[in-house]
This record gives sequence, C-alpha cells and structure tokens, in this order.
Amino acid sequence: MKDIYELLNDVNVDDHEFEEMTVTEFEKAKVKSALKKSISKKNKRRGWKMNVAAAALVVGLSTVTIGLTFPAYAGNIPIIGDIFRFLDNEKTGLYDNYKEYSTEMNLTQDSNGIKITINDAVFDGETVAITYSIESDRDLGEAPSTLHLGSADIKGATGAAGSSHVTKVDDYHYVGLDKITPFGLTSDMADINWKIRSILRTDTGEKIKGNWKFAFSLPAIDSQFQLTNQSVEKNGVTVNIEKVAFTPMSFIVHYNQKATQEVQDKWHEAYIELEIKDDLGNVYTGEGNGGSGKDAYTISWSKTFEKLDPNATKLIVTPHVTFRIHDETNSGGVEITADGKEKEISIPVKSGVGREEFIMDDIVIELEK
Amino acid sequence: MTSNEGNFIKRLQRQKEDALEFVVDTYLPIIKGITYKVLIPLNDQGVIDECINDIFLSIWNNSKKFKGDSTDFRKWICTIAKFKAIDYYRKASKEVEFSSEHMDMNADLSAEDELILLEDRTELIKLINQLEPVDREIFIMKFFLGLKTEEIAKKLALTNTSIDNRVYRGKKKLYQKVTTLELGESRI
Repeated sequence: MKDIYELLNDVNVDDHEFEEMTVTEFEKAKVKSALKKSISKKNKRRGWKMNVAAAALVVGLSTVTIGLTFPAYAGNIPIIGDIFRFLDNEKTGLYDNYKEYSTEMNLTQDSNGIKITINDAVFDGETVAITYSIESDRDLGEAPSTLHLGSADIKGATGAAGSSHVTKVDDYHYVGLDKITPFGLTSDMADINWKIRSILRTDTGEKIKGNWKFAFSLPAIDSQFQLTNQSVEKNGVTVNIEKVAFTPMSFIVHYNQKATQEVQDKWHEAYIELEIKDDLGNVYTGEGNGGSGKDAYTISWSKTFEKLDPNATKLIVTPHVTFRIHDETNSGGVEITADGKEKEISIPVKSGVGREEFIMDDIVIELEK
Repeated sequence: MTSNEGNFIKRLQRQKEDALEFVVDTYLPIIKGITYKVLIPLNDQGVIDECINDIFLSIWNNSKKFKGDSTDFRKWICTIAKFKAIDYYRKASKEVEFSSEHMDMNADLSAEDELILLEDRTELIKLINQLEPVDREIFIMKFFLGLKTEEIAKKLALTNTSIDNRVYRGKKKLYQKVTTLELGESRI
C-alpha cells in the first residue's frame, strides 16, 4: 500500500502555479533551528553507537591534534548554515559566495557554560574571515562582543586591521563574523591563533570569563593578480590603483594615496572612497580592509568587492575624496610611550575649515582575460 | 562534504542534516508562498509557522519515499506543502467556534468535506489505494490538494463531466467498501 507521500509523488502538478514569497535569512534560521530541535529529539535513542564510534575515533586522533576539539557529534547542524549571508542580511551581496569557498571548521570549545564553535573560515589572500556560533546557557544581550581582548592572531603578521560582528539569533544562540587583515604577511598560509578570554555583554558591560582557544591554518584560496598601476590626480591628491586580485568569490583592490604638502598644510585628513562599476553597468559594493602607511596622507589600502561578473571586460573606478579637519568632536588619540605612559596627542592647527568633497576622474582598468 | 543541487536528494535520503538545510535554503520561498496562500485567512502566524516546520519535517521523515530528480522534487514538496496547509486549515477552522449567526455555514458541509473531517486519514488512504490510478490522482487532487474540478480536468485532459463522474463513481465505490467492512475492521 502506498502512503500519502508516495501517492503525492505520482500526482503531476504544475509547480509554476505556486507563488514564491521573499524569505529573510533570519526566517530560514528560525525554521532550521526548529527542525534541528525536532530531529535531535528523534535521533537521541539510536545515537549511542555512533557516539561510541566517534569517541573511539577521537581517542585515536587526539595524539596528533592537541589543541583542537571535535564537535560533540558528527553532522552537528550549525544554527545557521550560511553565517556570511545571514550577517550581511542580503543587503550588499558581498558575502554571497563566501560559504561556497570557505573551509568547514566545526571546532568547538566549551567553557563556563558557553560553547563557541568556529563554523567556517576562509583566507582570500588578503583577509581572513571566520564565522562562529555561540551557544550560551544565559542571555548575552543583543550584540555580545568577543573582540575586546584582542582578535585572532595571525603568525608572521606585523600588524592587523579587523572587524567583528556578533548577532543574536534566538535566545542563547548567537552568530558572528570576524575579519582580520594581516599586514606584512609573506606566506600564502595563515596560521591563526585565537584566544577568547571573556565575552562582553555590550548592553550591561558584564564580562563572562572563560577560556576558548582555537588554532588552525588556512591556505589562501587561488586568486589571480592583475598589476594595474594606474593613477589619477586632482586638487593635490593622487590615487594609485596598484593591483587587483580576483578570487572566486570577490575581488580585492589594492590602492594607495598621496597628498601634496599644500593639502597636508590645510587638512588633517584626505579620505578616499572608491566606487566601482563595470562596462555592463554592474555596481559593486565593497568593504574596506584597512590600510597602513607612514603618515595620515600616504597610505596603502585594500578594499574587497563582491564577485566580478565574468562577462565584464572593464572596471571603472571613481575615487571620491573628502578633506576633513579634525577637532575634539571627531578625533582624539593617545600615544603610548616606551615606558608605558600615555600621552594625549594634540591636534595640530590647519588652515582648512569643516570638510570638502570632490570626485576624481574615472580610472578605467581593462581586464586581462 | 556539503549538499548542492546535484546531490542533495541522495543526501537527504541518507538523512544528512546539511541536505535538509539545503532544502530549507532553496525551497522556503515557495513553501512559504503556498502555506501563506492557504492559511492567511486564519490570521494566525503561529499556525503558519508550525505548518511550515511540519512540512519540512515531513519531507525529512519521508524523503525515502520520493522518487525522481530535482524538478520532480520541487513538485513533490509543493504537493506536500499544499496538502499540509489544507490539513492545517481544516483542523484550525474546525476548532473555530461558530457564533449562532454562522451556524448555517457549519451545517452546510458537503458530503466529501464531512468525509475528510470525520476520517482518520490513514483509513482514507487505505481506501484510496484501492482505486484505479487515474481515479486515485483525481481524488488526491480534489480532496487533499483542494483543486477545482476544472483544474483537474485541464491537467488530465479530460472533460469536467468525466471528472465529476469519476469522483461520483469513486465515492460510491469507497462507500461500498466502507459499508461492507466486517465488525472489528477499520471503518469510518
């Protein structure tokens, strides 16, 4: 006898008559989380044999993998499948292809009732992006922070810039994305060492102490470089596009800026924002990775943009420049001297007033195929 | 290894949880569309959410019963969604308390509606299994998926009259089967 599901298999319906509705990543996450609960309830009884097998495997492997923990059981459904897209909330599309090219890590560390699992990580040659989930036995507020005691450390880097973003999924479940751009890294392998000593509740200021340690290596994914060295100059500012790296899920523009003495005398800062489109009319959204340089005017930057349309033959880069004057309301800093004392940095007086913006001529990059 | 367009059905049938995630990612928009269309009159978000979860859970629990490729899979889960949504709708509207001025609506249920309402589903399915394949398809479309006679006629390239006739004959056959059941056998 056929049951209803087999009977439905024989029914030929026209699926085009059904209309799709838009769904957010959050809704997907909610459905998955509910399903995960129902499934794990059902699977509990037959699970012990698998656990024993897994335990035996862990014992066998533990001698070579000191410092790593395996997830409690194989096939552990992460709270959210694609954290990259979830945190982007489908706003920019910058992370749409990240999950596909990232490495599934599934490293879990349990401490003080809070379980942190690194889900995926990817190194695009410029930036390491790590997604993780937090399962907590208590409320951590809307946006807890793991960053306040320093982010992941990358071996061989002379410095780094980064960002961290943690969001609540439902009660006691959180997901995060940390990005670290190491400077001065020569190897195409990133050795990452990430120690979290406490989690900060940003709403109450409460710190939950614990000890979560992760260490892993990531090879850089294959990317192609195109040296460009094209520059444009206007009003004393020069922007030079040094090179563009194309990865399967993004492209990264490396550029530097210079300013004449005249500009330096007048303004505290010349801020450059790049707008990029291609010859097909696609506009690419991007996110800056930070930069470094010898002073506030001469800086090398990199910025990651979403995946390139394979049919594009040209990239059109339009630099937007903003001159700014710093005052107590928008700037401040301390210098830490060798003996550990902090010294307030005074803001030098410049002749400019407020801010000034202008747009430079386009830089057109012919893409090599 | 993760699921993709090419392997997710096999992985789902092997009960790999990432395949279920893939299914949610890919098909939630259509499942949501179907469920909302049927259940929106109930004005109860809780029922809608519950139904959507139930649909995916049924897909997971019954994945081995599916045969075909990903185009068939989409059709299959669409029919499951429609069937579940209607099921939820019937259950929920049965629970709604009728005020006296709406009592006549309640009294005016058609014979087949009553059949469905009274019926323990497994028994009905047992009976439907005894019908000819064409009649079986017509019954499922009409009573489980809530399709109109004209729609069924169009799909099967038959006339409205012939559909109605088949439904009539099929129902008669089912009633006969039911009434000839011996004492102690399952009956409506």
